[in-house]
Amino acid sequence: MKVIDKIVNWSRLKSPWVLHFNTGACNACDIEIVAALTPRYDLERFGVLLKATPRHADILLCSGPVTRQIEDRLIRIYEQMAEPKFVVAVGTCACSGGVFDGCYNVKGGIDTAIPVSAYIPGCPASPKAIMDGVVKLLQSLEAK
Amino acid sequence: MAEEKEFRIPIGPQHPALKEPVSFSLALRGEKIMGVDVRLGYNHRGIEKACEERTYIQDVYLVERICGICSHTHSTCFVQAVEEIAGLDVPKRALYIRTLVAELERVHSHLLWLGVAGHEIGFDTLLMFTWRDREVVMDILAMLTGNRVNYGINTIGGVRRDIRAEDIKGILKAMDILEERTKYYIEVATQETTIIQRLSGVGILLKEDAIKLGAVGPTARASGVARDIRRDDPYAAYAEMDFNVITDDHNDVFGRAVVRLKELLESYKMIRQSVGNLPEGPIAVKAPRKIPAGEAVSRYEAPRGEDMHYVKANGTDRPERVKVRAPTLANVQAVRHMLRDRYLADMPIVVAAIDPCFSCTDRLVSIRDMDKGRTDIIEWSDLRDYSIGWYKRRGVDFSKMGKMK
Amino acid sequence: MSEEDKIKQQLTDRFNFLADKVTIKRARRLFMEVSMDKFRDVFDHAIKSLNFSMLTTITGLDEGDKFGLIYHLASESGIMLNIKTSIPKDDPILQTVTGYFPSAEMYEREMADLLGINVKGLPAGNRYPLPDDWPADQYPLRKGWKSDVLDKKENR
Repeated sequence: MKVIDKIVNWSRLKSPWVLHFNTGACNACDIEIVAALTPRYDLERFGVLLKATPRHADILLCSGPVTRQIEDRLIRIYEQMAEPKFVVAVGTCACSGGVFDGCYNVKGGIDTAIPVSAYIPGCPASPKAIMDGVVKLLQSLEAK
Repeated sequence: MAEEKEFRIPIGPQHPALKEPVSFSLALRGEKIMGVDVRLGYNHRGIEKACEERTYIQDVYLVERICGICSHTHSTCFVQAVEEIAGLDVPKRALYIRTLVAELERVHSHLLWLGVAGHEIGFDTLLMFTWRDREVVMDILAMLTGNRVNYGINTIGGVRRDIRAEDIKGILKAMDILEERTKYYIEVATQETTIIQRLSGVGILLKEDAIKLGAVGPTARASGVARDIRRDDPYAAYAEMDFNVITDDHNDVFGRAVVRLKELLESYKMIRQSVGNLPEGPIAVKAPRKIPAGEAVSRYEAPRGEDMHYVKANGTDRPERVKVRAPTLANVQAVRHMLRDRYLADMPIVVAAIDPCFSCTDRLVSIRDMDKGRTDIIEWSDLRDYSIGWYKRRGVDFSKMGKMK
Repeated sequence: MSEEDKIKQQLTDRFNFLADKVTIKRARRLFMEVSMDKFRDVFDHAIKSLNFSMLTTITGLDEGDKFGLIYHLASESGIMLNIKTSIPKDDPILQTVTGYFPSAEMYEREMADLLGINVKGLPAGNRYPLPDDWPADQYPLRKGWKSDVLDKKENR
């Protein structure tokens, strides 16, 4: 790995910028993601910062299944992110479509539309599981 | 330059030509909203159809996930309809446990709402405090049911898990803590001038309009309309509960906040009653796999207002028809009415005050500027920032408020 | 006489074609059937004279050669009057009731989108709940409709 890559990797590890995108399903996972940022769980102490725009995000935290109406927007947001970028599927619906698999407006998990780097199951994924998943992803990046 | 920017509606990076799910489209003249069109269905999954293709038991778990805040609401509303068609005599202990979980759900939902409302008006401290308190309820729900959300407590014929005697102490202790915190929030809400200024006179809905437009839940009750299914059309164990239906006559967002806060106190009362008077006996009766032909309408007072399920059975193990009317849909016309001829800056909190689906305030908004003759699509977060800035310039600044406890 | 009995009596007294068409299923639950040509009069009467001030929702059902429609009315005292009527599937025209209840708009749009019922008199507005690019003549809640039709159409 080149020196510049190592520095960028280190700063990304120490302070990953995260964009939270919800496809709009039941929202339980979205609430748990926000709860992970509140004092009891405090995801921010890992340096995780929530960013509003795709262009500044390293990690895309996705919740909910891919529906017909959201697919294009999801793909566009992914395309707006600069490389290297990572997608985390939060919750069982994001992993596989979950309980909505087979519903006429649901296509499946996030990976039916964009590549996924990490899968955090749970219905919903608890704040602890979300933190565990994000930290595991960061550690796997460190290993590279 | 900075002054100029603040007066302009911010335009996001999206382009109108591309397919983007928009939740509202507004017609704007100057800073005022002239007309509102809702564009719902961004989270339409096809659940009613899926219900016909699955068994009743599978449907209990499916409808539970219609909404991640009101999961017990939909699950209970559904099983009630099926139980009525099948003529099942659900044991009293099960009805009490359903009521207990129902009120715990209302508590988590109202505390969540408080935090979200705080976030919409630029008062993030409130989000941190209320969601910290909310964790007390989440712990209780996880202890009782095994999950923080989507409790899976219902089955057709009763409930799946019992309350243990040792759980009750923890529940009562939690109620004491939350009651104290809620009384503090009521004090802050009714005495802090910044909050009163920000929420009063916003989102006006007069009583006669609330009735005419079919408003439900705290939205209706804050306009003096005493609609509450727990009292009007009792289900579960509510006929045996002693509680007040909270109404308010402010007719605005402030009233909606006060109603929810006072309802929390009523919920703590009912939670204490349901564990204190918990009847002995079984927690479920056996339900047939095939439900005899018939139909039923079930109603439930969700934290947001009346939820209604209609179920038609045809003698098989799958329903013929399941119709769900969630409370937010009933409040759509009221929201449109509340926004018309009002400032754009009021939109985020007025929408949030009906307590819509969480993701409703994460979608895009399309704004047609009637003077400039152009339409822009903006992010809700930009609309929120605009709103907070607009009010700051008028002296409503939460960073200047006293410290919260 | 219970409140429910009184309502049933008033309905059958006022409209003799309702003679054996009103059922009290249990406390606070009345169900009745009426043909579409008589529906409007009964609906109007229920609202203006029997204090049914709330339209909870409208349920549309695919019943083979016709669409069943249930108007779920409620009074402030918690009693529901569920009025069932029907329209032929080969000519599924329905008049809006938004003149009585503005909230009916969303419920009627839902039936238009998901069942293909032609609701007359709706104010201008967006469809609900299907997305704008949903293919025409595809009505998911009709019996026998399968979603694989969509995938074929999209050339996936």
